[in-house]
Amino acid sequence: MSEKIVKLEKISKIYKQGRLEVKAVDDFSLAINKGEFAALCGPSGSGKTTILNMIGALDVPSEGVIYLEGRDLSGLSRTELSTLRRDRIGFVFQAYNLVPVLTAYENAEFVLALQGVPHRQRRERVMSILEEVGLADLADRRPDELSGGQQQRVAIARAIGPEPAIILADEPTANVDSVTAHGLLDLMEGLNKEKGITFLFSTHDQRVMDRARRLIHLRDGKLETDEVRS
Amino acid sequence: MNLKELCVMAWRNMFRNKRRTFLTAFSVAFGVLLAVTFTASGDYSYTNLINTSANMGFGHLAIEPLGFNAYPTLAKRLAKGEARRQSVLGVDGVAAAYGRIVGQAIFATGSKSIGGQFVALDPAVESPEHNVFLEAIEQGSLFGPDDSRGVVIGVKMAEKLKLHIGKKLVYTVTDKDGEMVSGISQVIGIFRIGEDSVDSSVVLLPISRMRSILNYNQDEVSLVSIFIDDQRKADAMVSKIRAVAADGEAEVLTWKETQAELAGLIAIDRASNYLLQFLVGLLIAAGIFNTLLMSVLERRREFGMMMAVGMSPGRIVLLVITESFWLGLGGLIFGIIITTPWFIYMQEVGINFSSQIGDDYSAGGVLVDPVLKFRLFKESALAILAGVFSLTMLAGIYPAIKAGRVPPVESLKNF
Repeated sequence: MSEKIVKLEKISKIYKQGRLEVKAVDDFSLAINKGEFAALCGPSGSGKTTILNMIGALDVPSEGVIYLEGRDLSGLSRTELSTLRRDRIGFVFQAYNLVPVLTAYENAEFVLALQGVPHRQRRERVMSILEEVGLADLADRRPDELSGGQQQRVAIARAIGPEPAIILADEPTANVDSVTAHGLLDLMEGLNKEKGITFLFSTHDQRVMDRARRLIHLRDGKLETDEVRS
Repeated sequence: MNLKELCVMAWRNMFRNKRRTFLTAFSVAFGVLLAVTFTASGDYSYTNLINTSANMGFGHLAIEPLGFNAYPTLAKRLAKGEARRQSVLGVDGVAAAYGRIVGQAIFATGSKSIGGQFVALDPAVESPEHNVFLEAIEQGSLFGPDDSRGVVIGVKMAEKLKLHIGKKLVYTVTDKDGEMVSGISQVIGIFRIGEDSVDSSVVLLPISRMRSILNYNQDEVSLVSIFIDDQRKADAMVSKIRAVAADGEAEVLTWKETQAELAGLIAIDRASNYLLQFLVGLLIAAGIFNTLLMSVLERRREFGMMMAVGMSPGRIVLLVITESFWLGLGGLIFGIIITTPWFIYMQEVGINFSSQIGDDYSAGGVLVDPVLKFRLFKESALAILAGVFSLTMLAGIYPAIKAGRVPPVESLKNF
């Protein structure tokens, strides 16, 4: 039986807009197993990002329970959630979100530095990761000296550095051209296959959907289909 | 992430918007310049006023008979004047001490009389360094130790009484028993202080002669005027001097008590100076606050990302506080660079205001130097640096807290 990394049980998320209540996610349940390369798909407003935010411990559900590696997130304090995000969840953002004053190397080591990993150990790990993502030669460059694709590779390096349980990637290919998108997907797919890193995407990019081995379709905050592909 | 890495990151953040950082650092630097200007001119002019006032008779500290300061009469006198003077001279920090008799008198010539004040002193020990009248003698000289008839008067009194060197002057005083007594003397010196009220009323007389006229014992004085190396230590010296030279019949007073009017003027001026500095500081702090807040608001997304990847709100607060630290430190260094030439010029040359205030402007009866110069005490310099730096740090607190409270989800929106 596969190890469950993430489990969502009857999750709902209600936002208040003035007097109106908007149900962004409605009675949604899901389990993500270790080593999956899955994508949450659906049109804008279908609840993809909201679900990703809740799995990433950035937002809390109005109803239901989320488990990450068997741990109920609803019982955790703000500090515990922060530590959980740091140690067990990797984030890849649509807009890269690198720290502009840090070099590629420093951005890649950012989370490891937050974890307090000793400098030498950190250096070895980051250089090896930058090698993997093909940026070892650009380690000293700052984000504004890198292309969009290169910045996203740095973001991936930052996400995989601490060896998280899951990497949550929100529209990771939305801001790059087709060639770069394929390159990024090759990289993430390779990391998934070779290292067993679990990826969960939020996307409406066909290129990502074509590569994902599991497609979870959402509509109006509800699960529409859950398709596992070989 | 250790403190060193946080400091490096904060340092680099300072250069994200170079122009804004430069302008903010400049406003901190300008704050330093203004604070130095206000404080150093105060340190210089207050010290000058206090020292000049001390040199006009009462010293930085004075040992006086009980009640003499409130109701000075010649009936009140201090025994063992010389012994007290010698004891005081042994106290660390005391530069000089002089026994003096001071009181009111009527000065008269054959045709005219005028009320005034006499200072009886011992010419054998007195020094122009601690006596503004001796320094200001422009005709003749001070009477010698053996000259019991000599008198030195102010130039305005000489004009009013039509006196000049060699002329006779009669003085009438009330002796220790309340009897009116008179003495006759010869003008041997004329001084010019520049302050009319002083030049027309003060007369210097030999102390030995006055003791005889007033029926005082040989060691009796009105007060022992004490001069110390640093006027700021006057309060701290009181107990030391009391321990060696005061008893149940004597009290030790600082210049603030003997020159209460001057002390009041300085206190008011100093308070308004501080108020002005505080207001300028507030304006500068508002500028720094605005810069830091803008910089935080512009980086909401970045802070949101940092929190998303596990940076604690406390670390983010510390990051912004460290940015304030760099801004404050940079501003202070910049401030020292721009202030130093200005300070050196003002210390060495100064600005002459005599065309605006004249050469005889006085405050509290003390002549004010029309040339404004700078003098900055070490503690004042440290207070300025600490004050400006603290203000910068304080201005950074709210923006830092704001940064630590950025909600990751809202700031990232679609992460």
